[in-house]
Amino acid sequence: MAETNTVPVPPGSPKGGSESSRSNFDPLGFISTYGVFITLVACIVIFSVLDSDFIEIDNLRTQLGLAAPLLMLSLGLTVVLAMGDFDLSIAGTLSACAAAIVVLIVNHDWPWGLAVLVGIAFGLGIGAINGLLVSYVEMPSFITTLATFLILLGVEYMISDGRNITGAADMPDLYRDLGIGKPEPFTEFTSPVWIAAGLAIILWLLMSKTELGRYMYAIGGNSEAARLSGINVKALRALGFVIVGFVAVVAAVSQTARTASSIPRVGISLLLSAYAAAFLGAAASRKGLFNVPGTVLGVIFLQAVQSGLTILGYDRDILDISRGSILVLAMLLTALGARRR
Amino acid sequence: MTATAPATLESLLEVSGVTKRYPGVLAVDDVSLSLESGQIVGLVGKNGAGKSTLIKIIAGAEHADEGHLQLNGEPLELHRPHDATDAGLAFVHQDLQDVGDLSVAENVMMGLGYPRKMGLFVDWAELYRRAAEPIDRLEADIDPREPVGELSVAKQRLVMIARGLAQQAQLLVLDEPSASLTDEEIEHLFAVVRRLRDDGITVVYVSHRLEEIFELTERVIVMRNGQLVADEPTSALNRASLISHITGHEHAQTATERRASREVGGRPDTEAVLEVEGISADTGVRDCTFDVRKGEILGLGGLMGSGRTELVRAVFGADYRQEGSVRVHGREIHGNHPSESMSAGLALLPEDRKTQGNIMDFSVRNNITLASLDRHRVRPRVPAPSPRSEKQSADRRIDRLSIATPNDRQLVRLLSGGNQQKVVIAKWLEQGADVLIFDEPTIGVDVDGKEEIYDIMEELAAEGKAVVFISSEFSELVGVCHRVLVLHEGKIVGELEGDAVTEPAIVEICYSQH
Repeated sequence: MAETNTVPVPPGSPKGGSESSRSNFDPLGFISTYGVFITLVACIVIFSVLDSDFIEIDNLRTQLGLAAPLLMLSLGLTVVLAMGDFDLSIAGTLSACAAAIVVLIVNHDWPWGLAVLVGIAFGLGIGAINGLLVSYVEMPSFITTLATFLILLGVEYMISDGRNITGAADMPDLYRDLGIGKPEPFTEFTSPVWIAAGLAIILWLLMSKTELGRYMYAIGGNSEAARLSGINVKALRALGFVIVGFVAVVAAVSQTARTASSIPRVGISLLLSAYAAAFLGAAASRKGLFNVPGTVLGVIFLQAVQSGLTILGYDRDILDISRGSILVLAMLLTALGARRR
Repeated sequence: MTATAPATLESLLEVSGVTKRYPGVLAVDDVSLSLESGQIVGLVGKNGAGKSTLIKIIAGAEHADEGHLQLNGEPLELHRPHDATDAGLAFVHQDLQDVGDLSVAENVMMGLGYPRKMGLFVDWAELYRRAAEPIDRLEADIDPREPVGELSVAKQRLVMIARGLAQQAQLLVLDEPSASLTDEEIEHLFAVVRRLRDDGITVVYVSHRLEEIFELTERVIVMRNGQLVADEPTSALNRASLISHITGHEHAQTATERRASREVGGRPDTEAVLEVEGISADTGVRDCTFDVRKGEILGLGGLMGSGRTELVRAVFGADYRQEGSVRVHGREIHGNHPSESMSAGLALLPEDRKTQGNIMDFSVRNNITLASLDRHRVRPRVPAPSPRSEKQSADRRIDRLSIATPNDRQLVRLLSGGNQQKVVIAKWLEQGADVLIFDEPTIGVDVDGKEEIYDIMEELAAEGKAVVFISSEFSELVGVCHRVLVLHEGKIVGELEGDAVTEPAIVEICYSQH
């Protein structure tokens, strides 16, 4: 029977009132809701006290620039995660696209615009294939995208021969500007930061303000009920993978334009951080849902920890342990919060 | 109100002054009662009356804020569900808590430790032998080796009861055990319960079906608003007095009386809105033809598994339709897509509101507007929902259907079953469908809630909508429907209209098919 746990409705008063639970302060509930945010603020304060370089505007600029590709990937993942799917192939799409674009521009002297267009078509195509297999053929998303991920890593190896391809001299300035330029009149940050911010705003509008976004969350909540409410579940789930494919290409362009090179398997290092950021964001939301502002917060959090520990002179091992611990902590707080609900 | 039986030496379980608060609600309010060995006790009350919370406290799944329990005169401390099991208390919940992929024997012996060979390997022969004992005691025709998931719901319930017996239970609590059972299966269940009682086991029987309470129990405990409001021998009650205990006010009607007082007659003389011709589906629907008129309430009767749900799913396009045609307002619906049926004016309120009707983690508001979101845009051409427009509509529906919720932002998960059902209804009213198919809308809904749902269906019909109503409780169909079709094995085998719609007539058609 579904009558028990809650139903905070006194008989005879169908509306209003019943906010009594909110008046008494509930420390555990507060921590589980704002825990991620509080920890972020605490980290920033501690790092700033330990080393004043941390809070310098220059460091902020650098860190945001470094975090931009991660942010793009995390945002894409947020869309599929909200619908209850996984996409692991995102890292493969990023790596393969990065290699393809750099090879086309540097080794084959293609115009950069054309190379980027080919990359976008490639990313959308991969997204469509994933969407088709998962949504229409009804294969489980985790294993399906793991498979496409492996294939894409192979493709990347074919393209790049497993080597770094660098060619700052062969790359047109306009293309480099996509990675290191500071577009007029917004010279405060480099292009990737602005592109990532633009992407965040667009996806935030999509997820929180449009009918499509509402339908996507409905699918994540209960896809059968969504289908019986007339929502085109298959098309929307497929669309999620296509969005991920597109976002992966944008990240590939930013990354290669910034470093003027393609580094083999560049996507893999970002993959796990991107998932960590999206899950941190969900943990930070009141309802525990994947959401765009939460993901942005998660990325900033991970980058702040990385930057702070690097400035303080810690090595990679401590960095990884810290990031892992943060994720466990965030999930712990969420789990405690869920038990109270 | 008679006083609780005084504690005697035979008293098995003693509940004293148990109170449980949830934020904003007193779920159980100072309840004291005493259960003796070898009794069948009915526990009734509306949804939200506190029955489940009380049971959970006895099961050790919830902790009481005040009060204490005594078992056989000893204080009973329950810290976790396992403690209750160890003490000899067994619970069969409405939503079956078995592991479908495991065998019957593994489920029966779960939590007791499986017999082993060489201290390591499961001794399967011994396991099957031990599990067979309680199953035999229930005279159930169940193979201990079979996976539980392949059994009928009735047999799965018996497996859960067998688990209780294997645990040497002294007290067995059955929560809505007859839901989804055929009449024959219910008879067997009753026989089992009576045999357990004769063996000295106390059975607490929770049900919304009052006929069962009168047929089976010796004593009835009624809860209302968290309080124990009546505790009497069943023989001292009649249907009317029991209902007035449950609802707190005096009114009780039989289905036939209801039909007469509401002047439910034959089908109205209007044009057909929904015309179904010769449809078949691989879910077992075979060559069904019927129509529903404007303002008509059509009932679909039949036993469990007769294909009622499958029929309406095929009509709506939730399942693939192999043959036949469906027309709404004369317009043929070709595809097998819910969205196409919806735009033609068809709505299906599915059987299981938790898994198919609502998005449980969405607010009341977002559920109500989900199927009509494109009518709540900030601007006609901008596909962005306007919260203000959504709120207006949601508030209007909440008000009109008297959905008990603190506000439109409450999560549907937190509402009672009846109110969750009303949210599903509100969604389809908001969507503006002309034909509404209600699949078992009153399951798990209390007496008052059922009455409200009947009223809603009647209002809809009066407004000129066509209503299709599926129910396993034939008395409901009798009380509301102009016409009833009876199904058997996916085919329409009988039709009753007007005064011919009576419970015996429906039952007669169902059983004359065998």
